[in-house]
Amino acid sequence: MFENILIPVSSEFYSKKILERSVFLAERFKSTINLVYIIEQKTLHQTDKISDSFRTHYNRLETSNDIIKKSRLRVDNIILNDAKFFLKNKEIPFKEKIVEGEFSNVVKRELDENNYDLVLMGFEKGCILNYRLLDEVNVPIWIESDGEGKSILAVCSNLAPNQKVPEFSVKLSEDLGWDLHMLYVVDMGDSVEVDETGQRSDRKSEKDLIFIGENFVEKMREKGVNARLVKGGLEKETVKAAEGIGANLVIVGREQKKKNIFGLPVKNVKKKIAEKCRYSILFVN
Amino acid sequence: MTIEADNFSKRRNTLLSRKDVFFIALAFSIVALFYLLPPPDGLTHNGQVMIGILFMAAILWITEPIPLAVTGLMIMIAQPMLGVIPAVDVFSSFGNQAVFFLIGAFIISVAIEKHGLHRRMAFKFLSRFEKNPRIFTLGIMFSCALLSFVMPEHGVAALFLPIIVSILIAMKLVPRQSNFGKVSMLCVAYGCSIGSLGTLIGGARNPLTIGVLSDIGITVTFFDWMKYSMPVVFIALPLVWLVLQFSFPIEIKDVTMAKKEIDNQLAIAGKMGRSEVLVLVILVFTVLLWIFFSSFPYLGLAVIAILGGILLFLTGCISWKDVEKRVPWGIILLYGGAITLGMSMQSTGAGEWIAHLLFKNVGSNPYLVIFAIIIFTILLTNAMSNIGAVAILLPIGIAISAEIPGISPLFASMIIALSGGLAFMLVIATPGNAITYSSGYFSTRDLFKVGSVSNIICILVIFTVAVVYWKGILGL
Repeated sequence: MFENILIPVSSEFYSKKILERSVFLAERFKSTINLVYIIEQKTLHQTDKISDSFRTHYNRLETSNDIIKKSRLRVDNIILNDAKFFLKNKEIPFKEKIVEGEFSNVVKRELDENNYDLVLMGFEKGCILNYRLLDEVNVPIWIESDGEGKSILAVCSNLAPNQKVPEFSVKLSEDLGWDLHMLYVVDMGDSVEVDETGQRSDRKSEKDLIFIGENFVEKMREKGVNARLVKGGLEKETVKAAEGIGANLVIVGREQKKKNIFGLPVKNVKKKIAEKCRYSILFVN
Repeated sequence: MTIEADNFSKRRNTLLSRKDVFFIALAFSIVALFYLLPPPDGLTHNGQVMIGILFMAAILWITEPIPLAVTGLMIMIAQPMLGVIPAVDVFSSFGNQAVFFLIGAFIISVAIEKHGLHRRMAFKFLSRFEKNPRIFTLGIMFSCALLSFVMPEHGVAALFLPIIVSILIAMKLVPRQSNFGKVSMLCVAYGCSIGSLGTLIGGARNPLTIGVLSDIGITVTFFDWMKYSMPVVFIALPLVWLVLQFSFPIEIKDVTMAKKEIDNQLAIAGKMGRSEVLVLVILVFTVLLWIFFSSFPYLGLAVIAILGGILLFLTGCISWKDVEKRVPWGIILLYGGAITLGMSMQSTGAGEWIAHLLFKNVGSNPYLVIFAIIIFTILLTNAMSNIGAVAILLPIGIAISAEIPGISPLFASMIIALSGGLAFMLVIATPGNAITYSSGYFSTRDLFKVGSVSNIICILVIFTVAVVYWKGILGL
């Protein structure tokens, strides 16, 4: 399922858990781990721009080189050391490189140039993460977080095509041996139905949307999946259900939620889920 | 392992963005508006144009579509172009001795950096604080502050960045997840900022303040400055350190690895070389001259600074190439613009008019005014460059002091100058914050959280020192 795993680590954020998880997945799926350490260009530029009038070009270059040198030292002394520790006595192919650039652009370029099946990364609220990455990339993105359990929450809704998520989550739960819980959210905040091709319908009544949802849940139950239907906001219900079952992993699909307040678009749904959910999330586009 | 550069990520550096063009157009439009509109009662046309130029400077210094120094130049040429002040008067501000003090201080700082004296001093200071992790972070803060007494704060932050990161890496502490890492890096940022208040060398806004004051006939010597500022420095340092300790409780128990790294670095540095000793002797000599002989009728600040600089050339410690490499000449231009702004705001009566307007709306309780000045300066300095904030507020502060009995121009200027150095909340507020942020050990959220509390503490410290010590004891 995941032969080639990309682990982008930003100079802004690193967690041992990412490596631990990658080794767990690599053992299960016989994958190759590719670690790319990204020295955030945005941070370098920012330091440079703010120091513009106060420090000379030479001084700024010295600082920039210091930052790059120390980032490299950090990779060698901490991250690769951790990797060695987790990979000890395990025959898992491991490659690493350091790139200077902007996180989202580097990840996109890596995905364009190589054949990866999974992006595994860490996340912290204060990071300069370009959230477009979550929508623009076709490869599944696994955001590793806390969670010790062995269960998966797969989230479907009237706002997603619900094609990949059911198939993907069933397969993953079988391969990992984790329990699967499926949630179908009827989100009346944006009362449309998204079809298999990702097209949004006209507005529908609550009754119609619940009927469609119940059909979906019934179909899943026939396949032996523990599925249920709830009514409410997609983000809120996802976080609530994840807390309820103590999910180790939440799988979210290509949702198409569009909601405006006074004509201004509200926060990206994926961003909201990533920020609020304490568990690992797998975005499947 | 080699480092690849992701060319797709590289920005266009040559052309201005639409946002930049918008802010430039906005700044110019405001000047044009102030030039064309009839002035209100009590304000001359020239005064109104100067207020327009002040707004232009504020917009350009906050949004930074062009380098800060270019805005400084723009302020200078706008005044003769709009007929406010003759060109001769505008450019004469470069004759102020504070400009040459700044140049001399920069040259001395070049020698300190070139011979690694600052690095040795940093390690020596740090080695005195290896007792436990908390004391070690206090040591970082004090070391940064002490070094910021003798060289510019941004240079100190840039010096400490690799030193502290090396120590944190040796201790295997990971960015964002280690509170010791957060506190250590924030101690660098805040230590440099607070230390820069201490002497005239730490921040360029300090010579700017004495330059503006000398234009109105008030002389402040090197020692005078220290006399006013040191209580603020030595009260604020431990208080801000305490805020850091409460905000991010340190998770590690010992600093053996840090001690090893410091010993290792001191061993690599070896014994002091001849040039390093010479730089140290000249530095001490210059500082002593500044303390004892910078007042009238002795040598004056600039003569001593330039003398120190020349001695470094005569002893072969530095060459002109070193000066070219490390002296930020842009700041001198920024300084020139800032000082003419202050001068013209006063001579056209614009500062006085703004002060009247403020009293009409806020009232004239001196304590309330002092408090308001401190808060406003700290808010402004968090949103723009320190020197810009001080340049904008000094003429207004001096005009306010003329209106309120009990507040002298020196008192108002010192409040603004010291508050102007306390940009704790945002990464963009000061190069020291940006440099330490680049280490990755703290987030913008961490900085804002702890910076806002520290700023509140410092507001109270400056207010108390100003009212009790400056006014009550020194009679300022």
